[in-house]
Amino acid sequence: MNPMTLIARKERSALLQNQRGLAWLLAYAGILSAFALLLISNRELSLLDNAQVVYMMAGTVTAAGALIAVIMGADAYAGERERGTLVPLLTAPVSTGQLLMGKALGLATAWGIMYLLALPYLWSVGAGGQNLGQAIFYLGLFGTPVVLGFGYLAMALSARSGTVLSSLLTGLIVLLFSASPLLIGPGLRNSAIGMALDAVNPFSGALNTYDAVIIDSDPFTAQLGRLALVLVWLALTFAFARMRARHPAFR
Amino acid sequence: MLIDANHLAFSLDGNTILKDVTLHMAKGEVYGLLGPNGAGKSTTIALLLGLYSPDKGNLRLFDESNPGEAQIRRRIGVMPEFAGFYDWMSARDYLIWYAGFYGGMQVTPDALLQRVGLSQVGSKPIGQFSRGMKQRLALARALVHGPELLILDEPTNGLDPRGRREIHDLLIELAEREKVGILLCTHLLDDVERLCSRIGVIDGGRTVLEEDLKDLLREAGKPHYRLHITQVPKGRQLPPLVRLLNRDGDWWTFEIDLNPRVGIGTIWEDLLVHGWSFDEIHVEKNSLEDRYLELTGAGMPTQQEKAA
Repeated sequence: MNPMTLIARKERSALLQNQRGLAWLLAYAGILSAFALLLISNRELSLLDNAQVVYMMAGTVTAAGALIAVIMGADAYAGERERGTLVPLLTAPVSTGQLLMGKALGLATAWGIMYLLALPYLWSVGAGGQNLGQAIFYLGLFGTPVVLGFGYLAMALSARSGTVLSSLLTGLIVLLFSASPLLIGPGLRNSAIGMALDAVNPFSGALNTYDAVIIDSDPFTAQLGRLALVLVWLALTFAFARMRARHPAFR
Repeated sequence: MLIDANHLAFSLDGNTILKDVTLHMAKGEVYGLLGPNGAGKSTTIALLLGLYSPDKGNLRLFDESNPGEAQIRRRIGVMPEFAGFYDWMSARDYLIWYAGFYGGMQVTPDALLQRVGLSQVGSKPIGQFSRGMKQRLALARALVHGPELLILDEPTNGLDPRGRREIHDLLIELAEREKVGILLCTHLLDDVERLCSRIGVIDGGRTVLEEDLKDLLREAGKPHYRLHITQVPKGRQLPPLVRLLNRDGDWWTFEIDLNPRVGIGTIWEDLLVHGWSFDEIHVEKNSLEDRYLELTGAGMPTQQEKAA
């Protein structure tokens, strides 16, 4: 079997057979459950427009997915190093490129599982509306590069940093920074700095697209600029991971 | 030659780790790589495995010059000092998975597990293994593809005496029957005396000794004689075959090259003839440990080197 496939298979089993991996998936499902319950049962939130609710759910799935991706990415190299399993991988006939591709494929599989897990939640909050199909499509198209990009960024940090904790914290800070215009609210987003940040922030790019297509029913062609932004983010983070993982720190 | 490394030098982040390391190892040989902590043993192993590239020197494995290449790695089995695994996998599943990198296992997983004494626990999750069991599994991992060269870093760490003996026997069998070359990096000189045919000692990033163990033990086995000297002749001339090693007050330590024609009695007479007087003699047999301490003590970094 191809070394890349072997590593991806191990990554998948780490998520689905390992207690820790299952705990992360459970935590992810817990976040979505709590949010869906809030949207459906809270008196004020349940009065929101159906499209607004689906938009919020899609944003939550992207944020939770990015969070799990950062955790997995931080563990990719530093975790192997801390467990003492990196040296056996580096001394096997596996190139560092194959190792990275295997890890990247494992991350993509994890996001695939998270995406599938999110579908019933999207359906539960948006089944009565007309934009559920749009939400599912754009979550796949924009959420995937954003989530994977955060995972690759954490992998890049993990390949050279000493511990899982240090790469995890750095990855989380970048994630929080990306989400900050959204957390702070429309006041800042409409300022010059906010608009400049929105223009380069992949997280904003995805959320603004959800807003535009789910709530405002804008056409796909109007989203091409933002699509380019998230794809550039994906390409840059992967290139960064590739550069850093060429000579991973192994002790 | 399995390993032909000459005058390797290596620096990392501006720190010189290896200055001049030389290591030669032939097929079927068990080579003990010794040295104090921080001497450069692990870095030497990393160079051999292609994890680092030397700044200077010449390194060839299996008469090829690119140690990091996949074709070379296929011929090497590695047991790192810290035996890490994926705790949720069973030992059997792990070995099958790891062998996939080498195109499959050379023997069945059960046969390999039996060889390292883990046949009863092959389907248990590795997370439930003791440290000693993980050491055995690490050895099985290194053997999974039938390597020609085994690089083992502290292989008997965490093993009880019986386990240690079993691993020793397995290594001897591998070297003698299957002609596997074994590079053994250890602090346990008992392991070295029992297993190795040749040793290399690294200290302060330099090879300070590379020699056949038999020769070294023969040399190290020469007794030292500590004499309490009561009178020293002018000029301190010594008889032939007697060499002064050191002096601590009135206690003088000599090495004497005895041979079948010259007995120890003759030597004492010669000393008296040369004007030496003594009233007490202690005979001290030197061991591999003494020789090792002597070598690595002399190679301790100077204050200037430490400061640099």
